Amino acid sequence: MRISNILLMVIFPTAALAEWETNMPRGVTPTSEVAYDLHMLIFYITVVIGIVVFGAMLYSILYHRKSLGHKPAKFHESTKVEIIWTVIPFIILVGMAVPATKALIMMEDTRDSEITLKVTGYQWMWQYEYLEDNVTFFSKISDESNAARRLGSGVDVTTVDNYLRDVDHAIVLPTNTKVRILLTANDVIHAWWVPELGGKKDAIPGYVNEIWVDIKEPGTYRGQCAELCGKDHGFMPIVVHAVSKPEYYKWVGIQKTNRVAKNK
Amino acid sequence: MSTDIEKLHDDHDHGPSSGIMRWITTTNHKDIGTMYLWFSLIMFFIGGLMALVIRAELFQPGLQLVVPGFFNQMTTMHALVMIFGAVMPAFVGLANWQLPIMIGAPDMALPRLNNWSFWILPFAFTMMLSTLFMESGGPAAGWTLYPPLSLQGGDSFPFTILAIHMLGVSSILGAINVIATILNMRAPGMTLMKMPIFVWTWLITAFLLIASMPVLAGAVTMLLTDKFFGTMFFTASGGGDPVMFQHIFWFFGHPEVYILILPAFGIVSTIIPAFSRKRLFGYDSMVYATASIALLSFIVWAHHMFTVGMPLAGEIFFMFTTMLIAIPTGVKVFNWVATMWRGSMTFETPMLFAIAFIVLFTIGGFSGLMLAMVPADFQYHDTYFVVAHFHYVLVPGAVFAIMAAVYYWLPKWTGKMYNEGLGKLHFWLTTIFVNLTFFPMHFVGLAGMPRRIPDYAVQFADFNAIASVGAFGFGLSQLLFVYILFNTLKKDVTAEDKVWEGAEGLEWTLSSPPPYHSFEKAPTVD
Amino acid sequence: MSSFKKTYLSLTLFTIFMFSFSYMLVPLYDIFCEITGLNGKTNQERVLVVNENPSERFVTVKFTSTVANSAPFTFEPIDREMVVQVGKIYNTFYTLTNNTTSVKHATASPSVVPHEDAEYFKKIECFCFSQQQINGLETKELPLQFIIDNELDNDTRTLILSYTMFNTTDQVGSK
Repeated sequence: MRISNILLMVIFPTAALAEWETNMPRGVTPTSEVAYDLHMLIFYITVVIGIVVFGAMLYSILYHRKSLGHKPAKFHESTKVEIIWTVIPFIILVGMAVPATKALIMMEDTRDSEITLKVTGYQWMWQYEYLEDNVTFFSKISDESNAARRLGSGVDVTTVDNYLRDVDHAIVLPTNTKVRILLTANDVIHAWWVPELGGKKDAIPGYVNEIWVDIKEPGTYRGQCAELCGKDHGFMPIVVHAVSKPEYYKWVGIQKTNRVAKNK
Repeated sequence: MSTDIEKLHDDHDHGPSSGIMRWITTTNHKDIGTMYLWFSLIMFFIGGLMALVIRAELFQPGLQLVVPGFFNQMTTMHALVMIFGAVMPAFVGLANWQLPIMIGAPDMALPRLNNWSFWILPFAFTMMLSTLFMESGGPAAGWTLYPPLSLQGGDSFPFTILAIHMLGVSSILGAINVIATILNMRAPGMTLMKMPIFVWTWLITAFLLIASMPVLAGAVTMLLTDKFFGTMFFTASGGGDPVMFQHIFWFFGHPEVYILILPAFGIVSTIIPAFSRKRLFGYDSMVYATASIALLSFIVWAHHMFTVGMPLAGEIFFMFTTMLIAIPTGVKVFNWVATMWRGSMTFETPMLFAIAFIVLFTIGGFSGLMLAMVPADFQYHDTYFVVAHFHYVLVPGAVFAIMAAVYYWLPKWTGKMYNEGLGKLHFWLTTIFVNLTFFPMHFVGLAGMPRRIPDYAVQFADFNAIASVGAFGFGLSQLLFVYILFNTLKKDVTAEDKVWEGAEGLEWTLSSPPPYHSFEKAPTVD
Repeated sequence: MSSFKKTYLSLTLFTIFMFSFSYMLVPLYDIFCEITGLNGKTNQERVLVVNENPSERFVTVKFTSTVANSAPFTFEPIDREMVVQVGKIYNTFYTLTNNTTSVKHATASPSVVPHEDAEYFKKIECFCFSQQQINGLETKELPLQFIIDNELDNDTRTLILSYTMFNTTDQVGSK
């Protein structure tokens, strides 16, 4: 068991009762990994600071109380101490800023992507377009989830597979390939987010934003819209199937054939 | 403004008039302070009920109680009511009660304006809340009103904007009054650096208010003209940009965040020394830290919107400035701990709330520091981790400070002592439930649950159920607070003038309750 | 008393100033965008002085399009991708089809990624400079003439130009 989990359990004991997800996923892309590492680094730093500060406070609360006959000291200022606790946090902050800046520069570098996937947010679904291969389709919440989520649907949602996390038409992306994802929107601002693929970015009508992913592990990754976009904001999931490159091109071929068939 | 101190002197010999007219026409700072505080309490319960609708719906996955549209109205209204209706008026109420009696003044500098700035509030909120009963429902785009979504709002939209304008006017008038009072009406001998720390924090807060509320007014006016008068501030087809709204909004919004917390710092800095029986450690550095937090608040706004796609240099700039805020905030926390260090502490209800404030606010500060890291923020942004963060700084932060202040000064205001045992019970229930509500939100947020969703995937169910139980427990515990208040008011006047052994300041030289006009003759401060 | 009045007056003036400041932020924001390439906003005005100075470098330009608010348009680039020489003028087209039978007005909003390179994508002639009027069921070819500035960052090998087409018929009607 990782130390982080133990620490979380100390802070919040019920977490020990079940294997509940309590932390950010480490994910499967370079960007999600740096985000996770940074997250854990800052978490440990704050835990240490917390132990020092709260420890001093607790000691004071336990021993410097009137009921124990403790008499108040007279000191009430010290420039030296003030300087110390201004400078030390500053040094810690610099120590945090360096890896954060490095990670950020890496995350914002979309150059030399092999594939471009354009994502357009709609109220309330996504449109995907593979720019190089001219493959376009819409992707919305699966019918099963959509029926179950209605008020008074009478469906026990725990029986629905991947409730609210399944779509009718998933995206397929190749592994070990740098993919540039362009984000824009049709109507209002949305945000495209699959936690295991790294961070999110806003999809803004009239403008394009970009992020990149380079998925290291084949698998199915799920996410959803992360910017309030109206009444069905909670119901626009994202599903990404990551497959090997040959499989990806096979899939693209099928999509193209389907499109030609449809156009006829 | 024609009202000035001379007009005030004309009113001198009148006591309070009787009946309802006393409250409608009053220009007395204590009456107005009382009204602000009651108003805030009512709003706290209204906003709390909305929170309970949210938590009830989120108790289990699946939609059981409300439709998504109404859920969004609840999240939007909950925020607007709590920020503008509960926390800000509570601080203004405390300012009204405390500033004159802390600086040795007879009343606030602008008594009639004071009356007006209070009485705007009930009308503004009646209008805002009435939108919930309109056919199109209330505003549902989040309290941040981001366009283009907010421009899709129905009939409620102009009413909400107008209500926000009224709230802004009320806050600005209140802030002008506070500044004028503090700068001009201090007792002889009370130099700026001898002012009680609560007065200092409110002075700085008031400057933040008049600097930021007009910007909010500008932003929502642009929304209004975009919707109804064909301007194109926020529409790309007309050369506008929806992201610009977010910049302008958060240019207001971040100072606003500190408006909600700086007076709380002042309260805690007053209460901790009183019950440690030791002077506040590092008074000067506390003042400087508060001022630097206020100044920094104007150059960090874009950390609320790291995911809009800013240039790299912008992201780095806002990350660094945001991290810098940790330094003055840290100084404050260290000073509080140093004040307690080797003191002679007792743990009455105000002290308990103040100590809980320090611990839980610091936890909120830690998650704030994590959120400042842009690469990690790309994951945290718009998730329940953020919800947990800002509730930690606002509920056990601002709200706990307000409760601490009420327990601390209630005997002074009423001349009656509250029931200490019940007060402590209220504290423990509140503290346990507040953590039960908000701590699990860190976990679901990290695990990938976005905020502002009425329904969620099944793997988030357990923590959401816990949070909902906590929320209902928290809500019910506040009924005890109301009981304690009424129970206190029923008692006979028995509190001493100097209620607390370690309390310092001019207000404790007055009788409990203080005379209708405090300090007819200005006291002298060495 | 005058110190009171001074306080009120200066605070009131400050409030008014801050309100105006929120409007001043609008042009400031545009300047800020132009400097930093925020949102990939490109210059909305045509480049008047063009010095063709072809370099040895080639970059790929990809073209994409979006129709805003599900307007009844079909809007697509003719060239989805061009390999262009930096410092040389190129021409391309987008096509816009009005899928209704009534006259429509349309305005395109450009955006370039990477945002930092938006300023080097210079448009000499662009349909986005003005509002388009299009008859019912008509298909129009919309010209674009551009040049990639020689100042373009050496590490940039791909630029993507995106246009979002807005239906601005209502705005015309109201004016």
